[in-house]
Amino acid sequence: MSPIDCQQVLEQIELYLDGELGGSLRAEIEEHLGRCGPCMDHSDFQRRLKELLRARCGCDQVPAHLLDRIRALLAETHGPPLD
Amino acid sequence: MARRPPAPPDDPALKERFEREALPLLPNLYSAALRMTRNPADAEDLVQETYLRAFRGFGGFEEGTNLRAWMYRILTNTFINAYRKRQREPVTVTDEDVQDWYLYDKLGEAGVEASAESAVLERLPDEDVQQALEALPDGFRLAVLLADVEGFSYKEIAEIMGIPIGTVMSRLHRGRKALEKALWETVRERGLVAD
Repeated sequence: MSPIDCQQVLEQIELYLDGELGGSLRAEIEEHLGRCGPCMDHSDFQRRLKELLRARCGCDQVPAHLLDRIRALLAETHGPPLD
Repeated sequence: MARRPPAPPDDPALKERFEREALPLLPNLYSAALRMTRNPADAEDLVQETYLRAFRGFGGFEEGTNLRAWMYRILTNTFINAYRKRQREPVTVTDEDVQDWYLYDKLGEAGVEASAESAVLERLPDEDVQQALEALPDGFRLAVLLADVEGFSYKEIAEIMGIPIGTVMSRLHRGRKALEKALWETVRERGLVAD
């Protein structure tokens, strides 16, 4: 079997970075990235784009009163009902 | 296996366990709710409603399974039921003109070195990145949010959104391309690259 080429690597990079590839394909892509600068640049860019989203879109300050409101809501709510 | 009987109402131990395990998820759930509803007042309502529904259903939650994914499923369902019907927006993204590697290529064409491309994006204010994500139609926004911001697997996203894994993959791919296009427009508007 011939080794995986750049086009095949780039087609799989989304799945690879999402952690959805297992076993030999993942290992082949890792091996390719280790020796192919342009593919590594593409992969790094896409990975950092994911990191950017995580850092910028998932760390909002929770309003100070919200936790208290939820606790109060739970305190006045009956628990899971009997069937 | 015999089904465990539902916990009685006001079981203090159950309430205590719910608070101990579910309340620490509040910061993530609130951020996700903000990206979904796009405004703080609705996000607060959505999160409160989510906790209420989760608490009422907590007797049926199987201990040891994925509480985080379970809470996000309730959040997502509550959002879809309560908010989506109010909104009139396109259900698809137009991505015919968006090639794979759109943003990478555009930055490259603008003369940015490959090693410096992500540094250009780092200079965008938080609000710009948030708005680019929030501009995506619901189905695409939720998929990208759950994968990239929350780090769920495709299988978990499929369960949270109630769609097949193939649909998750296609929405992620197309949603990310649309997001790249929006980010590129923002980068140009901000003057972060030479025209």
